[in-house]
Amino acid sequence: MTEKEKIFFEKYKDKMSKIIEKKKRYYFNIKNEDLREIADYLFNKMKCRLSICTATEIYDGLEVLYHFTDDTTGTYYNPRVKTNLENPEINSITPILEGANWIEREMYDLFGIKFKGHPDLKKLLTINSPEFSKDDHPMRFKRNHKAKGERQKVKGKR
Amino acid sequence: MSKCRIPLGPFHPLLEEAEFFNIKVEGEKVVDIEMETGWMHRGHEKISETRTFTQSIFLVERICGICSTSHPFACVNAIEDIDNVEIPERAKYIRVLIGELERIHSHLLWVGLAGHFIGYDTLWMWAWKYREPILQLSEKITGNRNHYAMMRVGGVGRDFDNSLIPEINPVLDMLEKKMVMLAGAVNDDPVLKSRLKGVGILTKEDAINYCANGPTARASGYDIDVRRDDPTAYEVVDVKVIVTQNGDVFDKAVVRVLEIIESCHIIKQCLKAFEKVQGPIINKVKEISPGEGIGRYEAPRGEVFHYIRSDGTNRPVRHKVRAPSFSNIPTYKASCIGIPLADALITLASVDPCYCCTERSLKVFDTKGRRLEESLLKLSREKTKKIRKNFYADGVSPLERIFEL
Repeated sequence: MTEKEKIFFEKYKDKMSKIIEKKKRYYFNIKNEDLREIADYLFNKMKCRLSICTATEIYDGLEVLYHFTDDTTGTYYNPRVKTNLENPEINSITPILEGANWIEREMYDLFGIKFKGHPDLKKLLTINSPEFSKDDHPMRFKRNHKAKGERQKVKGKR
Repeated sequence: MSKCRIPLGPFHPLLEEAEFFNIKVEGEKVVDIEMETGWMHRGHEKISETRTFTQSIFLVERICGICSTSHPFACVNAIEDIDNVEIPERAKYIRVLIGELERIHSHLLWVGLAGHFIGYDTLWMWAWKYREPILQLSEKITGNRNHYAMMRVGGVGRDFDNSLIPEINPVLDMLEKKMVMLAGAVNDDPVLKSRLKGVGILTKEDAINYCANGPTARASGYDIDVRRDDPTAYEVVDVKVIVTQNGDVFDKAVVRVLEIIESCHIIKQCLKAFEKVQGPIINKVKEISPGEGIGRYEAPRGEVFHYIRSDGTNRPVRHKVRAPSFSNIPTYKASCIGIPLADALITLASVDPCYCCTERSLKVFDTKGRRLEESLLKLSREKTKKIRKNFYADGVSPLERIFEL
């Protein structure tokens, strides 16, 4: 660990859990309330760049992994935020850094996660698709998937 | 002054891919610009969850036709990151060689297109003429002009034939000379300079705020390059990162032209090393253990990012792909507003946008909906045979064939 990393992990020790340390990669769980503070510290104080965020559906909810990279050392800091399946909501970090704008729209589109405080939350990829309506989120497992429903209908006719 | 809305796209003769820009102008000045995407979205990340790890590498290769080795490169990096797999030294050199050959032809493609966008078609024909020998070299080394299929988990799929070295060197020398000539021609042309200098400026603060990467960020003075910062194969060669300060379209062109020359130097280092470094080209990996891995690679357009989560089976649970254009395209909000409409188009094109990558898609069908793969394969194999026969049998070098020296 370098000096910079030690200060960061010392400062937010209480707000993190399940820290996984690998070569040049750190994964840790944080709570939704602390996300903006930690993202602000990583982006403005440590001069990290947001590579991208990854949303994943797991058995008991949805999780979003933020990939912040420090380009001076090549280290990745990956805060992980979890939310529920019924009404997924996470604080938006677009007011802090503009680079999160499109990826938050994409996660809303594909997974239906609502980002609180996003300036213009609308679909990104399936916005013009005739196959998906407003409430469809294609990457969610089987639920809300219109194409799946249509395929079953065709089978019934045969 | 009257306000007016100009729709650009989704299908426009000047744009090579489907995208839609909603440009609002006041007289000649652009006051607002909005973009809609999604015409090429094919749900690639979902497909990857149903494929094995090895199949995923070939699947991601087909995301983009131009930077076709950058996605597999990042993908194998991500899979190797899960288990900390070490790859043999010769495989590292082969990976670097393929990556740099691709960077040269991708940058030349953009230089040509940029010339075409501003109506300077001579530049376009020049640039694409010099791109051809590089594509033919790729075909000789890997068997394909594009979609090289070289990357495997733990190494590379095919070995490099050392007898090709004397044929590659003159092509690189020629290219370096021509690039210096091209840079001089662009620099001396007063019309071109006044057309590109100071147009579509992206400041360093905006580049950082929008998380831009690649040549777009480096032209604005933001000194980042994955090849130097987080190398996975590039630690075996010296990489000089090219950074300019102004952030306009002219600087973006300069960065790309200088990077072509730098790529030539890197390839020469590899060719020197091939004579000394022998040995295996792959460490066989039988199983991927549960865990998560992040892989990245500096593609011609910027940083390609792959995240793979494995649960111990032979398929990924989650495979996230982020192409550089996904971060670079939104910078139009910072660079396009307030400039004349005529400059907006070249500014939009200056980030070298790749919409296939952004939306992660692929499609090979003809107008009647038939799959074209089989006949394309047959044609390409016949052509490779022909090229190899001509190259090898007549003793004519690729330079002589193209330039008729």
